[in-house]
Amino acid sequence: MKYEVVMGLEVHVELATESKLFCSCSAKFGAEANENVCPACAGMPGMPAVTNKKAVELGIAAALVTNSEITRTMFFDKKNYFYPDLPTGYQITQLFAPICRNGWVEIETGEGKKKITLKQIHIEEDAGKLVHDNRTGTSLVDFNRASVPLVEIVSNPDFRTAEEVVTYLEKLRSLLSFAGVSDCKLQEGSMRCDVNISVREKGSDKLGTRTEIKNMNSMKAIAAAIEFESQRHIDALETGSEVLVQETRRWDDNIGETFSMREKENATDYRYFPNPEIMPIVISDEWISAVRESLPETAQDKYIRLTQKLGLSEYDSSIITGSKNLADIFDETMKYFNKPKEVVNWIIVELLAIAKGDNKGGDDVKIDCKKFAKLIELVDNNTINRGVGKKLLSLVWKEGIDPDVYVKENNLGMVSDTDMIGQVIKNILTMHSKSVDEYKSGNQKVFGFLMGQVMRELGGKADPQVIKKLLTDLLAGK
Amino acid sequence: MIDIRDYEAMEKLSLSEAERNWVSSCAELLLKSFDELEKIEADVDPLITVLDILNIFREDVAVKKVSREEILSNAPEQYDGYIQVPKTLE
Amino acid sequence: MNRVVLEDCIMQKGIPVTAGSKILENFISPLTATVVNKLLDHGNVIVQRAKMYEFGIPNFFTDDSDEIPEAIKVVKDGVADYSLCNDLFGKYRRNAAETGCCYIHPTYGTVSRFGLIPLVSSMDQIGVVCKSIPEGLKLLSQIAGNDLEDGAMFPEKFYDYAKNKQSISVGIPESIVNKADQETQSAIKEFAEKFNSVNVDLEYFDVYKQVMMILSCAEISNNISRYDGIKFGYRASGYKGIDDLYIKTRSEGLGVETKLAAIMGAMVLSKNQYTPYYEQATKIRRLIKESLRFDAYDIIVLPCCISEDPYENLSLFALPNLVGLPCASFSYKGQGIQLIANVKNENLISTAWEVCMA
Repeated sequence: MKYEVVMGLEVHVELATESKLFCSCSAKFGAEANENVCPACAGMPGMPAVTNKKAVELGIAAALVTNSEITRTMFFDKKNYFYPDLPTGYQITQLFAPICRNGWVEIETGEGKKKITLKQIHIEEDAGKLVHDNRTGTSLVDFNRASVPLVEIVSNPDFRTAEEVVTYLEKLRSLLSFAGVSDCKLQEGSMRCDVNISVREKGSDKLGTRTEIKNMNSMKAIAAAIEFESQRHIDALETGSEVLVQETRRWDDNIGETFSMREKENATDYRYFPNPEIMPIVISDEWISAVRESLPETAQDKYIRLTQKLGLSEYDSSIITGSKNLADIFDETMKYFNKPKEVVNWIIVELLAIAKGDNKGGDDVKIDCKKFAKLIELVDNNTINRGVGKKLLSLVWKEGIDPDVYVKENNLGMVSDTDMIGQVIKNILTMHSKSVDEYKSGNQKVFGFLMGQVMRELGGKADPQVIKKLLTDLLAGK
Repeated sequence: MIDIRDYEAMEKLSLSEAERNWVSSCAELLLKSFDELEKIEADVDPLITVLDILNIFREDVAVKKVSREEILSNAPEQYDGYIQVPKTLE
Repeated sequence: MNRVVLEDCIMQKGIPVTAGSKILENFISPLTATVVNKLLDHGNVIVQRAKMYEFGIPNFFTDDSDEIPEAIKVVKDGVADYSLCNDLFGKYRRNAAETGCCYIHPTYGTVSRFGLIPLVSSMDQIGVVCKSIPEGLKLLSQIAGNDLEDGAMFPEKFYDYAKNKQSISVGIPESIVNKADQETQSAIKEFAEKFNSVNVDLEYFDVYKQVMMILSCAEISNNISRYDGIKFGYRASGYKGIDDLYIKTRSEGLGVETKLAAIMGAMVLSKNQYTPYYEQATKIRRLIKESLRFDAYDIIVLPCCISEDPYENLSLFALPNLVGLPCASFSYKGQGIQLIANVKNENLISTAWEVCMA
């Protein structure tokens, strides 16, 4: 390969706060259009900005997990431009004194470990959302997302392959979601990635023309967009078919190509200046230590705990720690039922299967952990069998039933009275005397048939091991 | 006369000729007076906020202050719960 | 029960609030300003809203000192006991003093700006037009105090403006006072004789107006960018596309003084001029703050007029806004003068007023 691809990333991550950055509207995703909007985040005058303390703390947490140097006196700036999704005509962001600089994130690549260095992380407010409406031929503005807090993580141009980019994003997602900074969902837009890309001849230290690609909302799309765009650069260099210009390009996932965004690119002057409404923020040693101490376990530490202390397999542990959500479900369920192997088994085998049926992955599974723990316990102590347990899980998932109550009300508990089971078996043997004869003359296969008959008679509510033993004994004439 | 059209564009303004002449002549006067500032040696940090107070925060609690209707009722055009504007993308 | 008038930049829920502008016509305020709630809590009555010129931005080059803002007229004519407004460029201070009223500009960060249409955020401060300084401070004590809805305030919940000081020393910037007319000069001289007085050299006075102008225009251009015809207020008709909507709306909806401020703001913040203009002004702002010597005097006395040129006069009014100091203007011996004190020292101004009026 004659060429080298050089990439830098700007990753936007929405902070996991209850309320917005400068007003007290809810920051939750998924509300009706313009439901989470107040006069301040609708751009109305007379509403001074008051900074959300939690957002700054999550910014400090982001700085800590990326090994960054925290700015001890930081402030906010205003960036001026007009766009309908920007209610005030300016975005409050950080240019002059961002929350931190010079961090790094280590990733595993095919060629070993690699450090990706970060230029800076800054806190800023998100813009609203524009929906392009074909019926009316207009654009529709929704300010729910306006002023939701974000951090933008700006890397140096350290990436050479799409694989490195994806690995880095996975690592960032793990670091930030486990630290409680963000839920980092690409599909919901709480994690967004812009890629700055240029191509040069290998060995050259001069960078080629740089383009920025936006609008990728999955890891697959990011990899595909990088593949497409780097090939476009290489073709242009090879054949001269096209002159590369420095510009922003939009990835179209359906077509599988990038397209030039002609808007607001020509020589925009954002007229940044320090925000005079917001007092400087001093981040003390004490504050940093307090945030550090409050940081939850990282994915890596959790993996070590699961494999070494709890004795779980590497495979199971990597699945659980691959998703902050699954890890939370595991920890929460363990509070109510402390058998790690059982809990992991139920999460990985049963819960994920049910979730998959509803088109959900590990990050979106939601379950009442107390009820989940209860049903695992009911199976574990033989109150119900595993088949009933699975049915109950789907009822907990869909209807939120209480397993304990449901088992009692529907009489699903296991029959443990061996005399009664013995009586049922005797009846079955009498009814199927032909099969009994076959068995006695050496046809072992009919054992399964008889077993099935007994199970059916008992409605699946007896322990198969118990039935098996009693049946074997009775057939042997004991 | 200084050319102010780039600044008009930044401010999303298009001035009439009379306005442009007046603004431009005022701007010329002002800029000339601003040049006095460069004579002052100011080797200090900028002063942005005059209060000597730091770290003013709000706790992270979500509160709903006004209804959606109260926000939308001020919009010149609205549609289906959204504020309506001309198409921004081709 | 006081009768209070609100200038049209102070918001009242359900009521049109335009700050004197066309671009905010149709804007119905969704919330009520904190100062209004506090006034009502203390049993005051809002009798009227006063008209104002657009956003309170004056014409910096034309002398309009005989055009009295309605917020002052209503107090002068006895229609109201007080009115509230936001004097950034000195017009209210001068007009109040020249019509026999008083204007109290409180310490920056002591009166909530929640519900005040913002203009220059680092200087905006609601002030009181009144008949006497002690009376004005009584009203001020009702509206001052920390508000969690304003992120740039001192923490105190209440202020006691009644504290007294035995002897007040006044600083007289003689070189500036000498620029005023004879009558004003002798009034200030008479005033000074009632106190220990010292000559003060207000370093940087000659560039106060430039610093004030640069910072104000930058913040004005930013604060008015929210007026774009998208979410509220005026939207032009007959536009073609989104950019045209912005341009038509703002060009039709804003007055020429506001347009001048916006364009000057864009200029001083633009990439190539940020450092020589905006940043230099913020640095000189610090020098100005550090140049004051409130250990040598309690209050500074200034005239309300030294020139026919409003831009020249701007330097007279810039200091309280640039540094966040309390200030009051009133008529003494028929001449407009103003007193400036250190942060939260409104009571010294009041004491001086009582001494000189005795």
